[in-house]
Amino acid sequence: MTTNPAPAPAATAAPEMKTDQMFINMGPQHPSTHGVLRMGLTVEGEKIVRAEPDVGYLHRGSEKLSEVRGYHHCVVLTDRWDYISSMMNNLVFCMAAERLMKIEVPERADDLRTVMCEFNRIASHLLFFGTYGIDIGAFTPFLYAFREREMVLDLFEMVCGARMTFNYIRLGGVMKDLPDPWCGKAKEFLEHFKPRLKEYDDLLSFNPIFLDRTQTVGKVPKDQAVNWGLSGPNLRASGVGYDVRKFAPYASYRKADFEVVVGKDGSCWDRYYCRVREMAQSVRIIEQILDQLKPGPVQGRGVAKVPKPPPGEAYAHIESSRGDLGIYLVSDGGFSPYRMHVRAPSFINLALLQESLVGLKVADVIAVLGSIDIVLGEVDR
Amino acid sequence: MTAHEDLFTEIKAGYPKLEKDRAQVEPYLTLKVLAKDVAAFFAFLKDTLGFDYLDMVTAVDWKGPVNRLGYITEPNPNPFLPDGATPQVQQAPAAPNVAYRESFEVVYLASALSRGRKVMVKAEVPRNSPNLPSLAGLYKTADWQEREVYDLLGVTFDGHPNLKKILTPDFIQGHPLRKDYVHQKDRYDD
Amino acid sequence: MGVVLEKLPGISGRVPGGEIVLTTADAIIGWGRKSSVWPLTFGLACCAIEMMGSYASRFDFDRMGVIPRPTPRQADVMIIAGTVVKKMADPIIQIYHQMPEPRFVISMGSCANCGGPYYDSYSVVKGVDKIIPVDIYIGGCPPRPEALQYAVIKLQEKISRMKLKNTHGATFQQAKGSREL
Repeated sequence: MTTNPAPAPAATAAPEMKTDQMFINMGPQHPSTHGVLRMGLTVEGEKIVRAEPDVGYLHRGSEKLSEVRGYHHCVVLTDRWDYISSMMNNLVFCMAAERLMKIEVPERADDLRTVMCEFNRIASHLLFFGTYGIDIGAFTPFLYAFREREMVLDLFEMVCGARMTFNYIRLGGVMKDLPDPWCGKAKEFLEHFKPRLKEYDDLLSFNPIFLDRTQTVGKVPKDQAVNWGLSGPNLRASGVGYDVRKFAPYASYRKADFEVVVGKDGSCWDRYYCRVREMAQSVRIIEQILDQLKPGPVQGRGVAKVPKPPPGEAYAHIESSRGDLGIYLVSDGGFSPYRMHVRAPSFINLALLQESLVGLKVADVIAVLGSIDIVLGEVDR
Repeated sequence: MTAHEDLFTEIKAGYPKLEKDRAQVEPYLTLKVLAKDVAAFFAFLKDTLGFDYLDMVTAVDWKGPVNRLGYITEPNPNPFLPDGATPQVQQAPAAPNVAYRESFEVVYLASALSRGRKVMVKAEVPRNSPNLPSLAGLYKTADWQEREVYDLLGVTFDGHPNLKKILTPDFIQGHPLRKDYVHQKDRYDD
Repeated sequence: MGVVLEKLPGISGRVPGGEIVLTTADAIIGWGRKSSVWPLTFGLACCAIEMMGSYASRFDFDRMGVIPRPTPRQADVMIIAGTVVKKMADPIIQIYHQMPEPRFVISMGSCANCGGPYYDSYSVVKGVDKIIPVDIYIGGCPPRPEALQYAVIKLQEKISRMKLKNTHGATFQQAKGSREL
């Protein structure tokens, strides 16, 4: 547990007063670490002189397990890395495996994948919005965010029966076509959701207390962000417009017209607000794709029951809600991958904390940690 | 493929001792460099060609099919097997046409964000002395990723500021992602 | 009745109608315990998101008297929501011992029950019941919020059946004790 140390004696105090460094252990059980992250903080008074994130408290060995699972079974493992945006994990694994197996995905399946990923981005960013509010001390946004998040989860439940671990995107396409009333329900939700974004801004984004706690804290300049390999909203908040959906379009993102949300100075508030604005872009993408959705098959031809791709290597990457999520897949012709490596954006974003926390006050740790938006399942895999 | 050729000639012009790897990683140009030259090569890529973003560092163990003893398996519960029957196969069959060898292949992916290009770089190190220079001085992002590779595969990066375990607990012996990893029972396994 | 006066001084005196409450000690203490089951805010993995979902607007756990507490010192029940990894096992045992008695454990989801999809992984504890005693198991990967709420209802039933006499306030599993660090 974090304990706020006693206020540090002022630097100008009497010379015989001696200050000492103190080690604070934060986590692995802590209400604001979003899971099981442990941080070793060395503080001098109220100021942090050394921060060492300690991960591995959710290391489940997915990469090792994938070496004895078939390709279809691996999709199940992918669900559980970044469990808040499972659709995207499904998608990136399937893209890499399809590259190995040279499978063509039908157009409608690509469209459905895009729609599901964007809905999942909304659900994920809503969760971030709610929990970041709690981290900073505002409980109400959490309830508002979950109200809409449940509606998105209902839409997912209609298509695949699961609320969180979907396993909907499969090799060669998607599990099955949309049920009849789905498109109507989805549009209904979007109409409901658009005015809500304004509500979120009024509720949290421009709240003066919230601004004070986040706007000047944890600034990450451009060079630092690139050098640390940040990606996703964290990188874009620093002013680098790198978005895989534009950089190397996959699925049906070519068809949609949207803008890459870029922040100014990479402060906590910028990272937060990038995500809120991204939700509006996701709504735009979904609307465009749903409007041009054409009937057709949703499952590609030539996907074997036990796929054995020819020996080779492939890399696929997508813009997940946390950043540039990549899969490096090696096949030796067997029924399971020879090697699978996940380029996990949360893991790489989290590494930044050891540098960016230094010099901040103890109370800002949570503000910075929350704004990075990590999912421990993906950090540790 | 012409984009790949252009990029290859451009890199080759500045760094002549370079070749394409036999196994190309699907959508990207894949280069092969000597393990000891990795740091110099990436310094060249970063300073001259603007590859300022390191996407990924990982490694592949090319020893052969994975050893099933690296997993926790229950004894075969099949009731139809007669007493004294041979247990299930512990080792997956080796695939033909794959160059299994006693080495690790360390794989890097770097991008030039401003020009929209990515390049894969591979370096091979022998299994008995898996050492190569660290990139942590060039790219800060290599810090944790190299630690992960060290933890899971046991590849040592010389010059890394803080090379120690990151994901696995202290009491897990060995490097789990090695193909010949054999799991030692610990206090939570009974 | 003597037990009630001893355990709840200051409450029995304020009951309208005098100092006499016609009930058994077991019943009234059980009633008090089961109506305010406070879980520890402690998420491990995927199931934690469903746990958050059940605290949130649609499922509204508060109406059952379930209010999350951030510190184990104030919590009655620990919901093991997610995969228990070997590195996390020691902290979990420590947190369990930090909770005041009587304490309860709900194992939520396949991973916490038996390892789930990670049944053969080198770094996963195959079920949280290998390290601490468990009262309620919930199946599912992840279980729905309704399932978690049903588990809490079942836990409340279990609490209301508890006897002070035999187990000194602890459930059967707790009488056996947990594995020491």
